[in-house]
Amino acid sequence: MRLAIQGIGITGSFGAGIDALRTALQSRTVAPQQLSVDHHDGVSDSFPAYRATTTGLERFLPKRELRRIDHFSKMTLYAAHLALEDAELLEADRSRTGVVVASGYGPLKTTFNFLDSYLDFGYSCSSPTHFSNSVHNAAAAHVSMQLKLTSPSLTVTQFEMSVASALLSARQWLEEGRVDRVLFGATDEYCEVLRYCRRHFFADGEQGPLRPLDLDAQTAMVGEGAVFMVLERADNRAAYAAIDSVILGNHAVVPLELPPAAVVVAGADGHRQCGRWYAEIIGDQPVVACSPYYGSFPAAAGFDLAAAALMMRDQQLYAGPQDAAANLHESAFLPADEDTKLAGLKCGPGGDYGLICLSR
Amino acid sequence: MTCSLPVVVTGLGCLSGAGMNLDENLKNLFSGCRYPGAPIRFSTDHPVVYPVLELRDEFKLPLDEEQLIYARTGQLALAAALEALTAAGYDEASLRGKRVGVCIGTTVGCALNCDDFYRDYKAGKNPGMSIIERYLRSNPAAVIARQLKLNGPVQTVVNACASGTDAIGLGATWLRAGACDLVISGGADELSRVTYAGFSSLMITDTSPCKPFDVNRKGLNLGEGAGIVILERGDRVDKLRMRGRVLGYGSACDAHHLTAPRPDGAGLKAALAEALRMADISAGQIAFINAHGTGTPENDRIEGRVLHEVLPGVPFLSTKGYTGHTLGAAGAIEAVYTLACLERGEVPANIGFAELDPEIPVAPVTANTSFSGHVGLSQSLAFGGNNAVLILAAGGS
Repeated sequence: MRLAIQGIGITGSFGAGIDALRTALQSRTVAPQQLSVDHHDGVSDSFPAYRATTTGLERFLPKRELRRIDHFSKMTLYAAHLALEDAELLEADRSRTGVVVASGYGPLKTTFNFLDSYLDFGYSCSSPTHFSNSVHNAAAAHVSMQLKLTSPSLTVTQFEMSVASALLSARQWLEEGRVDRVLFGATDEYCEVLRYCRRHFFADGEQGPLRPLDLDAQTAMVGEGAVFMVLERADNRAAYAAIDSVILGNHAVVPLELPPAAVVVAGADGHRQCGRWYAEIIGDQPVVACSPYYGSFPAAAGFDLAAAALMMRDQQLYAGPQDAAANLHESAFLPADEDTKLAGLKCGPGGDYGLICLSR
Repeated sequence: MTCSLPVVVTGLGCLSGAGMNLDENLKNLFSGCRYPGAPIRFSTDHPVVYPVLELRDEFKLPLDEEQLIYARTGQLALAAALEALTAAGYDEASLRGKRVGVCIGTTVGCALNCDDFYRDYKAGKNPGMSIIERYLRSNPAAVIARQLKLNGPVQTVVNACASGTDAIGLGATWLRAGACDLVISGGADELSRVTYAGFSSLMITDTSPCKPFDVNRKGLNLGEGAGIVILERGDRVDKLRMRGRVLGYGSACDAHHLTAPRPDGAGLKAALAEALRMADISAGQIAFINAHGTGTPENDRIEGRVLHEVLPGVPFLSTKGYTGHTLGAAGAIEAVYTLACLERGEVPANIGFAELDPEIPVAPVTANTSFSGHVGLSQSLAFGGNNAVLILAAGGS
């Protein structure tokens, strides 16, 4: 069964809303901010990072509703509302709308805030508010509560494969008729502990620029953000694109063969460990990679999907930024047409992959 | 909604505070034995010691030194998966060439709540990455897929305490869609200082062994473990290999509160209705219910009232008195118990229950109880307002 993408809501370092993503893709500009962190070990750390905004959320929800909601859930709520708005469904009947959220790490900051509560003040002072918001499905729960969605809700975490894996289950809900529509999203957030870990793992590789198709180099730069899509069965024409198939597997166990005529939208995001799998799988097929526009984080696979959907809608292949060196056959900034097929490919470090095929 | 392609269960695996394998679990359940005690693997400065149900023995896995860095949740998942695969007649070699999916529920197993690492980080001790590397290697579904060199969809479901139930329901949908030939599905969670602190902060843990549905219940006991089922397409499995069938799966969200169930139980009722509709059976055909029954005042009151309204007269029990609340593993362990009880034709007593709560119009079974039907129901309620229901049938019935 094919899925139709009928609306997209997104917040990332380029701004909020699908038009902000389009502007970034068209202008080929990237917008990481320079952050400074004084770590507990005395190290002063300055680095570029892609941070997302939630300031527009108050357009949809009153401030008092947001008092106890953390940044992770705010990003999620913001993108969910933007997606419904984009699909012109903010006022629609949502009684048969399911929620599926993918996240690689969950609400990191609140998880550490909860640990702070007992490490600083003792176990009897553990914070119940932080604890209940630290569970991975807290963001999906806030979406369901604020939008009054009583259909099934699912949160999936599978690091790099979170988005493809969650999409597989979202598709099944629609195929089995459990719901008529799925609000499908992906969220991950930046936090200082994450930066500490990335500094240990990748050292200077995080200083940018992010060159996703320079597959032998470690050039990832930390990012965050949230994206949602309104998915329906593709009975009617899709506003953006149709998802033809979702396939997950492991290339190291059974080699993956890409659809031969497709342009690959690679989820490569500057992680050298994953680079060899992109090189092996993609071969000579034309490829674009958009991670320099929003950074490296597991949920960015959802951003890749949004970018691919936008390419289909605009009938335009958007290439990466000007300075992105490539050792694959990078597709130029070319018009697409009704027959263009895109293959969204995300690879993990062990050869695991998610392949999402799109057409108009 | 009905689904024509039958999904069958060909293997079961389980370890918990009630036993190190399924047989040992059942022996303790049917002899009324439970083993709550103070936590052994961690300590806190909390003035109250809450009893927990930890695994009572060490378990051994065929792992080399590098693989042993998997966190405990991943190891629990793998141990139960190996037991279930063996029971189903599979080993690593016989899975080659099949598209095998892995769908596992968890809570602790995916959270970056490594408090030893974080304590050192906060103290400026410049901790190394070994604990983080272990976290990154230990996603429970990925552990199983990596160890068994599988090719197929891999998914870790994090729907809090309904995760294990949802994972089995979703695994069945993958099979019906033709996304794989076989699914290793279930849930796993380890006992953790973080959840111990969290549940005590919510003031829903009992200082004595828990008493599901009893008028004097004070809260839950935490536990740990894993439950795994091997799911296969019914049209490709010999009847003699069938241990059970997944007839129905329903889920719905309360959209009400992060930690408290909706007072009118509407989400649970919707999940039950969906599962019954999918199974295409009536409430009267359910032989028994393995309830969520945490022993917390609110959960048991609302769940008991819904059972009375939707499934009147159907015998029910909670097995959390034997296992504790194993969070993301709970629904899977209880689904395994449900299938095992269908094989035996009897359910164990709801340990801990002594006195009816006037606010709950029904009482669980208080002794090992035989039944004559072929269909059982297992349900979970969770943080985030998630409700999930599985309807399971005996063998090839």
